[in-house]
Amino acid sequence: MRALLKSPALWMILPSFALTMFVIGYPILDLAWTSLQEVSRFGKLLGFAGTMNYGELVGDQLFIDSLVRTGIWTACVVTGAIVISLPVALILNEDFIGRGVARIIIMLPWSISLTMTAVVWRWALNGRAGLFNATFMNLGWMQEPVEWLATAQLGFTVEIMVGILVSIPFTTTIFLGGLSSMPQDVYEAAYVDGASRWQQFRHITLPLLKPFMNIAIVLNVIYVFNSFPIIWVMTEGGPANGTDILVTYLYKLAFRFGQLGKASAISLAMFFILFAFTLLYVWLVMRGEGETGADSDEPAPEEEGAPA
Amino acid sequence: MTYQFKRATVAAVAALGMLGFAAAASAKTEVRFVVAEYSSYSGKHYEEVAAAFEKQNPDIDVKVEVVPWNTLLQRLTTDIAGGTAPDISIIGTRWLLDFAAQGVAEPIDGYLTPEFKGTFIDTFMTPSVIDGKTMGLPVAASARAMMVNLDLFEKAGAKVPTNWDELYAAAQKISKLKDTFGFGLQGKEIETDAYFYYALWTHGGDIFGKDGKSGLNSPEALEAATLYKKMIDEGLTQPSPTNYNREDVFNLFKQGKVGMVFTFPMLIPQVKAEAPNLKYQVLPFPAKRAKATYGVTDTLMMFSTSKVKKEAWKFIEFAFKDEWRTQFDHGEGFLPVTKNVAAEDFYKTDPDISAFAAGLPYAKFAPTVENWEEIADTTVQALQKIYLGQQAPKAALDEAAAKIDKIRGK
Repeated sequence: MRALLKSPALWMILPSFALTMFVIGYPILDLAWTSLQEVSRFGKLLGFAGTMNYGELVGDQLFIDSLVRTGIWTACVVTGAIVISLPVALILNEDFIGRGVARIIIMLPWSISLTMTAVVWRWALNGRAGLFNATFMNLGWMQEPVEWLATAQLGFTVEIMVGILVSIPFTTTIFLGGLSSMPQDVYEAAYVDGASRWQQFRHITLPLLKPFMNIAIVLNVIYVFNSFPIIWVMTEGGPANGTDILVTYLYKLAFRFGQLGKASAISLAMFFILFAFTLLYVWLVMRGEGETGADSDEPAPEEEGAPA
Repeated sequence: MTYQFKRATVAAVAALGMLGFAAAASAKTEVRFVVAEYSSYSGKHYEEVAAAFEKQNPDIDVKVEVVPWNTLLQRLTTDIAGGTAPDISIIGTRWLLDFAAQGVAEPIDGYLTPEFKGTFIDTFMTPSVIDGKTMGLPVAASARAMMVNLDLFEKAGAKVPTNWDELYAAAQKISKLKDTFGFGLQGKEIETDAYFYYALWTHGGDIFGKDGKSGLNSPEALEAATLYKKMIDEGLTQPSPTNYNREDVFNLFKQGKVGMVFTFPMLIPQVKAEAPNLKYQVLPFPAKRAKATYGVTDTLMMFSTSKVKKEAWKFIEFAFKDEWRTQFDHGEGFLPVTKNVAAEDFYKTDPDISAFAAGLPYAKFAPTVENWEEIADTTVQALQKIYLGQQAPKAALDEAAAKIDKIRGK
């Protein structure tokens, strides 16, 4: 302990650690405080209310539905993004003519704001005037235009697809970083030993990619869980609350209905869900690593530029 | 290196210069005015008014901040909660009661001279009077009406409707034309509830009954909702209305794909610009048991937290001068809220605008009740369930009425 206190590294980290705790911690404390109060339409605290806001949440069917839907949304988008990004990253890691261009094309959607992407999709999916229907009908794949966003089920499916699409650049980048840091000699050894391409992928690439996979899962879950623009722009959580996830429901409560206390309670619940998930996941990963004793010093990719 | 250094110096000097300006500006009294963005013209107009006002009152600096309607309530909520509310703002009159009930709005009776009060049309003053106190001034008004595509009516051999039976018959005929639908029905986002109130009112119902309870479970509401649902099922509206917000429905009308829509005056300049060959007519809503239109006003409100109320009021009086009002109303396509502008020939002779104005004597306003946004949303959710066929009209409306009564504590 004394040795630790003398360590210059600790003292050098301390200021930024304190700043981070303040920047992240203060809003959360404030939120927690607000969620225990009765709050007026315009954010004035009217008095201590105990767990009233939380009690209201538990009895609120829309909250429960949104919670379930948030789970579906996060699981589907993250799984989809990873399943699609992995082969994309593998292909982009190969040497071929035009690889630079291909990489740019994959990354390009990242440079457009999510809101803009969602607006474009909303237009493209418009029933009568949308490009999507027009193209499909010209190709003869559809007889009648489909109203993609008119029902909750179809609308939500489409939104998940768009969510996957916008998460691909970020996920691919993580995987590409992982792939390019892989030692070539292992592959050469495997080649000499007569391992097939599939065996190389299964027994070398995948295990070595594991830490990057973990990062991709954790970061994507955090981003997608909190993702607001796609669903808000495309359906505003409608029709009939059928595509509401926690963030969109929270936004309606806070800024349309002025129930800031209840909204704070949801925010806090969301924070703890994510917190619990991250802890659980880190624990699972660490446990796995402890057993194999590998992959301890992998560089983490940058955390900027949140997708979805 | 030197280049960077130079740049840094320039930036520093510029920053110092701005500080200097800020110091100079703070000698003036600053009035912060949040303008809701009706169109790209709104901000321009009030900048102009502010500039003219500052010329006459060099000691007052009016800062115009333009905020889009979609984010206005959120912006004001965060500003109020953060203690940085503006001095005056344009707001939706439907929010006024919440502002008044929370003590955010300043009663203006003390400032309002009888002479100034007299410039306003009385009908438009009433929604801003709460518990006998005037909480704001009407700053914009519009009424709603039906717009029909005369070409489609002619092609289909249909008669322009005056009541719901005729509308239904006309919709049947027009929908038989290829790729065309009789009636444009809005099914999502802002004012989806209003599109239903039009039918509710003209069937003789109301949003709230005399006892203050929700009118959604009344026989009239059921009749109106059933009619809409029947028209959807029979293909007399565009398919899947829940995918169409207000603008989407208006776009269908501009494309000549629907025969009838319920709309506001602001659609006229759009139609003239985007579909100049479309032959249209503006008509009152079809009536069954009652004539009705939806009168909508927006309110100019002063915040109780303002420290410059006197200066702010001076600006308000200036901005309501006839020369500015006539510019604003014409520029935005609104109905006038002041008597002098209303007396202009234009509002009597122009066939379109006068058709909208004709409804004013029997116009209904959105009720000023607390938690209106939540009540409206509850209504929208119920309507969407009906339109989608997830719930029968009666079940959905009864459920919504019960929820609304609970919100209102009735």
